[in-house]
Amino acid sequence: MTDAARNFIETYERERAALPGAGLAWLGARRAEALKAFAEAGLPHRRLEDWRYTDLSRALGGATLSPAPLPDGAVVLPDAAKRASVAAFHDIDRHVIVFVNGRLRSDLSGTKLPAGVTLMSLGNALNSTWARPLVETKVEAQAGNVIALNTALMRDGIGLHIARGAKLDTPLHLLFLANDDGASHVRNLVRLEEGAEATIFETHLDAGARNYFVDHVTDVSLGKGAALTHVKIQDEAADAIHLASLTAELAASSKLSSFSLTLGAKLSRSQSFVTFRGEGAEAHVNGATALSGTQHGDHFCIVDHAVPNCSSRTLFKTVLDNASTGVFQGKVIVRPDAQKTDGRQMTNALLLSRDAAMNAKPELEIYADDVQCAHGSTIGELNREAIFYLRSRGIDEPTARQLLISAFLDDAFETVPHEAARDDLRKLAASWFERHREKTA
Amino acid sequence: MAAVRETVETVDQVASDKYKYGFSTDIESERAPIGLSEDTIRFISAKKEEPDWMLEWRLEAYRRWLTMEEPTWAKVSYPPIDFQNAYYYSAPKQSAKLNSLDEVDPKLLETYKKLGIPLVEQQLLAGVAVDAVFDSVSVVTTFKTKLAEAGVIFCPFSEAVREHPELVKKYLGSVVPTSDNYYATLNSAVFSDGSFVYIPPGVRCPMELSTYFRINEKQTGQFERTLIIADKGSYVSYLEGCTAPQRDENQLHAAVVELVAMDDAEIKYSTVQNWFPGDENGKGGIYNFVTKRGDCRGARSKISWTQVETGSAVTWKYPSCILRGDDSRGEFYSIAISNNYQQVDSGTKMIHLGRNTSSRIISKGIAAGRSSNTYRGLVSVHKKAENVRNFTQCDSLLIGPRCSAHTVPYIESKNPTAILEHEATTSKISEEQLFYCRQRGVPEEEAVALIVNGFCRDVLQQLPMEFAVEAQKLVGISLEGSVG
Repeated sequence: MTDAARNFIETYERERAALPGAGLAWLGARRAEALKAFAEAGLPHRRLEDWRYTDLSRALGGATLSPAPLPDGAVVLPDAAKRASVAAFHDIDRHVIVFVNGRLRSDLSGTKLPAGVTLMSLGNALNSTWARPLVETKVEAQAGNVIALNTALMRDGIGLHIARGAKLDTPLHLLFLANDDGASHVRNLVRLEEGAEATIFETHLDAGARNYFVDHVTDVSLGKGAALTHVKIQDEAADAIHLASLTAELAASSKLSSFSLTLGAKLSRSQSFVTFRGEGAEAHVNGATALSGTQHGDHFCIVDHAVPNCSSRTLFKTVLDNASTGVFQGKVIVRPDAQKTDGRQMTNALLLSRDAAMNAKPELEIYADDVQCAHGSTIGELNREAIFYLRSRGIDEPTARQLLISAFLDDAFETVPHEAARDDLRKLAASWFERHREKTA
Repeated sequence: MAAVRETVETVDQVASDKYKYGFSTDIESERAPIGLSEDTIRFISAKKEEPDWMLEWRLEAYRRWLTMEEPTWAKVSYPPIDFQNAYYYSAPKQSAKLNSLDEVDPKLLETYKKLGIPLVEQQLLAGVAVDAVFDSVSVVTTFKTKLAEAGVIFCPFSEAVREHPELVKKYLGSVVPTSDNYYATLNSAVFSDGSFVYIPPGVRCPMELSTYFRINEKQTGQFERTLIIADKGSYVSYLEGCTAPQRDENQLHAAVVELVAMDDAEIKYSTVQNWFPGDENGKGGIYNFVTKRGDCRGARSKISWTQVETGSAVTWKYPSCILRGDDSRGEFYSIAISNNYQQVDSGTKMIHLGRNTSSRIISKGIAAGRSSNTYRGLVSVHKKAENVRNFTQCDSLLIGPRCSAHTVPYIESKNPTAILEHEATTSKISEEQLFYCRQRGVPEEEAVALIVNGFCRDVLQQLPMEFAVEAQKLVGISLEGSVG
């Protein structure tokens, strides 16, 4: 077992009594069980099929990641280089919740929520009856048991409950700032009852910290006809490790739209586990990634069609410069009797440099015959003819390249159903070029 | 839906139809004692009158095999194999060296006839040289003279070890090393026989080379070893076809095929595999664990795999190309049909090492009954491989609600100039297509046949003429009642 894994287990033993919901018997048992599963599996490594291209065990290595402290002072937002990430969603009317080092800072957060919308801390959420099934999610054992680590150690987060037919008036913006080095284990629980609607934005940024580990899990449960839009921006520090998992259970006719933009961190892995529980539901799981230097970005996505008549769309776009590495591992599962499934999965990658590398593994696992399933994957460089075309019209090469890359990423941004958020994502992509150009100049 | 239900029913009927090639011939055979040990290997080697270096090679592989573990990553399941409860050598008894077909055991000839390999007629009509393998020993090799004139060596593997040791030594294990994988290592230790082909520089092999493999002896695993070398600027097309008699016990088949293509050489390797797939309850059937790999060692070389897989209870097979030479090309065309309880996990690997290398993968999987049909493939582009092209298309067709089809592609690129495209679809026979055909008076069975044939067309077209007919027949037998 690596030092990092041992460190997590020790943290659990030491802090067990202080973790939220410590008094709840079911949760205590749940945490103990999860820790046991994690201890048996250890941190995931490349010998696991689901982690074939990303070695978290090695990345965390001998790091002794103690829990990041709870800071109560002022937090300084990152400098100009990340201006766009700081500004993202800023102009949208929204409720802002601020986390520092993975701990909720209610003094920095302010919300006046409409009737039917309840927002609470993780501790309070765990005491609510609606939250329990979310924590008992069945996908935990998948993908090398890393969600188990979060279940055992989850320390803070939010619980969002929206009553039947209620709507969250403006988006909820969760801003996660890393101020100090260390590990944070955040768990967000989101339950939308029948017909409820919500939009959640998430920004992950460094604000002073350098070497840190973010272990983030969001569990979503959508009631009949509920609709959730989730847009996430990850722009962590250059030495950070970011591990995020989204689990979602979709009841009949519900709709999930999830988008994740990956720009930061030394190593990031973003996992989505979507399970259809009722007919007529729809899931969009999309993302875009732009990496440079020696960054490593992994998107892992499993869409489980457990019932008939559901549709899923997955699109991941990856741009890789310098010696960065991109990974996409996706799977569409169609269970026996999940007839009339419509499942599509697409992944495209652009390699901008000689040292960049992309690995893709888009899988189909199908046990029903009356289905329409397809996946596609392409890896290549910028089209030389397209560059030539633009240059022949007086556009210099860097601009031509930027135009083409923007257009490439734009396909993914198009899937975001929130217009203002879409514009912010575009701005972020443009700022990535600037940042990048300064770095390479 | 009625149409589909009928289709499913007709497919189910296949089960009741007896396996067409399910007969066995009673021929006295000489075989090694049951079980596997160094003594078994020494016995095989002695039987083959092999030189010491060959025996050493086998023993080394055996010792390595003992340290290896059976792979479990494929999407197949079967009861554990008892490697000590099988015979590793079995040869049809024959009294003396044979000069003509007349001297061949008439029972053997009868078997061939039933299999549809009219040796005599083939000599006259088909123009195909057949190195027929009955169980493990190659008995009859025809057209040797004609091939000899062209300088082509086409002989049983055991003969090559004796007559052309320098070639065997140089190439054996150079594509699939003894340490490669569990079954390839087992094969290296106990391989019984197979074919050896060498095409000299600049020679275009005057005829299609063909070997029929046949497993006949009860409880005999067959361990074929095939080695084909196409020297500079040469061309060869090699056909491999398989049928096996009906058996209750599962039989293990772990073959190794190695291809080497030098500068400007081309090898076309076609397979029709129709071993006993087990009965309608999934009882019996062949375990087909094959390692096939081609090495495009020279510049501008080309290796093309075409396979029609309809038989075997469990198939584990990934014919691959190592595209080492600059401008070399690899192709993989596959039809895999599974019915009843058959399990297929097949695909290819295209390893791009050289510059300007290209590859094309077309895979058609058809699953019926309760079968499981998996495509598993790797396209890998290494750092120095400039201007690589790959196109991959994997389509699956599902017939009936209880079968399953899976696609597991691995796509890895370390060079920005590479352009890799992969697409896969899964669907059932379209109601509209069926309706269209029926509306025009085409009976339902024929319509299904038409659609399935259309679905497979890209691959069937790649087969040599001699094989295309047989392949179509096999597609028909596998989905009998609904096709053709």
